Amino acid sequence: MSLFRAEGLVKRFGGLLATDHVDLAVEAGEIHALIGPNGAGKSTLVNLVSGLLPADAGRIVLDGVDLTALAPHVRSRFGLARCFQITSVFGNDSVRDNLVLAAQAHAGSSFRCLARRDAEHALQQRAEALAQRVGLADVLERNAGTLAHGVQKRLDVALALASRPKLLLLDEPMAGMGPEDSQQMVALIRSLASEMAILLIEHDMDAVFQLADRISVLVYGKVLTSGDAEHVKGHPEVQSVYLGTEARA
Amino acid sequence: MAFDRPAHFPGLSRRLPWLVLALLAAFPLIAPAFGLEYYVGFVRRLLIVAIAATSLNFILGYGGMAALGHAGFIGVGAYTVVALVEAGSASAWLAWGGAAVVAALAAAAIGAVSLRTRGVYFIMITLAFAQMLYYLAVSLRTYGGDDGYGLYTPLEMGAWLDGAHPQVFYWVVLAIAAGVFALFSRVAHSRYGHALRGIRDNETRMVALGYPVYRLKLAGFVAAGAVAGLAGGLLASHNAFVSPGMMHWTQSALLLVMVMLGGLGRRWGAPLGVALWLTLEEVLKMYTDYWHWPLGVLLLLVVFHAPQGLAALLERRGGKEATR
Repeated sequence: MSLFRAEGLVKRFGGLLATDHVDLAVEAGEIHALIGPNGAGKSTLVNLVSGLLPADAGRIVLDGVDLTALAPHVRSRFGLARCFQITSVFGNDSVRDNLVLAAQAHAGSSFRCLARRDAEHALQQRAEALAQRVGLADVLERNAGTLAHGVQKRLDVALALASRPKLLLLDEPMAGMGPEDSQQMVALIRSLASEMAILLIEHDMDAVFQLADRISVLVYGKVLTSGDAEHVKGHPEVQSVYLGTEARA
Repeated sequence: MAFDRPAHFPGLSRRLPWLVLALLAAFPLIAPAFGLEYYVGFVRRLLIVAIAATSLNFILGYGGMAALGHAGFIGVGAYTVVALVEAGSASAWLAWGGAAVVAALAAAAIGAVSLRTRGVYFIMITLAFAQMLYYLAVSLRTYGGDDGYGLYTPLEMGAWLDGAHPQVFYWVVLAIAAGVFALFSRVAHSRYGHALRGIRDNETRMVALGYPVYRLKLAGFVAAGAVAGLAGGLLASHNAFVSPGMMHWTQSALLLVMVMLGGLGRRWGAPLGVALWLTLEEVLKMYTDYWHWPLGVLLLLVVFHAPQGLAALLERRGGKEATR
């Protein structure tokens, strides 16, 4: 039994079938990459899984729990976490405050309204541990908005890690990164794989082939094929729709 | 902020609130010596409006909820007092407490619907609800309808308080205002306050992080509604008169302007904005019937030179870290 399964997911936007009966499985400890040309419906799929968009049909199961009918914030409680394609951190706050805020969501009630939050040592320690985990310990007190793009991306990942997820959805973590930042991110993602399953959406093929245990190719909202890197590289239809026809030569 | 940076004048910025409180508390006693008795009532009104503005600043400045119907809750509070008086009750505490409770219920109902929308839709729907309350008050013949309702005998605060001093209502209002202000300042630094600001800054991310965003916002909306209702109850006592006009949408807009003038999402934003606006209004009215337009000019000046509001300007001058 897979840790995570999506079965027969469907999403329509008017006449457009953005997600067309998608089946997807991610095993524990596996990095499953989802690739596909622009407009293939990758981001829609991530939004369906994380619950930011309601699915028109289908089922989502994580670790035996049916998440389909649950609100996105409840899904987070059951072990689903995500990052965003457009870096989504709290730019006016320090890295520390960003991480404390993320940690707070999964450690007691956020309706507590009298005690001073920053006096809670457990939250501060959790924030520091998260910063350490993604290599941000040196910039804890810096304003998140002033950090370089690649550093903000790592903070974005750290925010998602705060909930100790079973499945981490990464929506183009390497987008807009130079080669050096990319390699750091690749190393970070690889180091996470032992602790959680990862569904990775990515355009950077080098990164995908380095990281993925399994690759699924999404075209026009449908899964075209699924398999390891060699299988996908060798698949003739993938070559024509995604890698470009010249790859066949 | 995990580690507050020391202000340039740590002693002053810490003591200033207490100094202001002491001055306000002493004001009714020293006013007669300067022939300022009239202004005791003015300051009392200012304090009541500041209570309402502080609650609006909480949901708008900290929670990012641009509610354009806050006067509706003030009105609900005021009419609750009227209803209790009409029913034969004379207790001030029951009336003001009731005002807060009924306004909280109204805010829960209105918020439960409104908070499912965002942005301009939220502004319009809160406005619509407040206007519904306005027309409801107009149509309530028992409570005077369009003409309003006079509260001819003051509410009773208990024999001990009522007999203590003619200005005892002023101190009661001051104590409530200080309490409300201290409470909201404290909440701002709590888990809840941080979560609310997170929602203001990035709601989608907060959802993904696992926050029950809708319930968190609703809780803030209800709390703010309750406090606005309390202010409405006090205002009813202050004016000894209640009319539908106090919940007209222009009143909500005025409250919004005062909060923005003072500094949205700043600790001192609401009281500063209210104090400046009402004081200028009072002063300008002495010299001209056309007091609206200098206030308009002031508003433009603030928009261009201190878009973050007066509180932000003062914080910068004081070299103090913004308490956002």
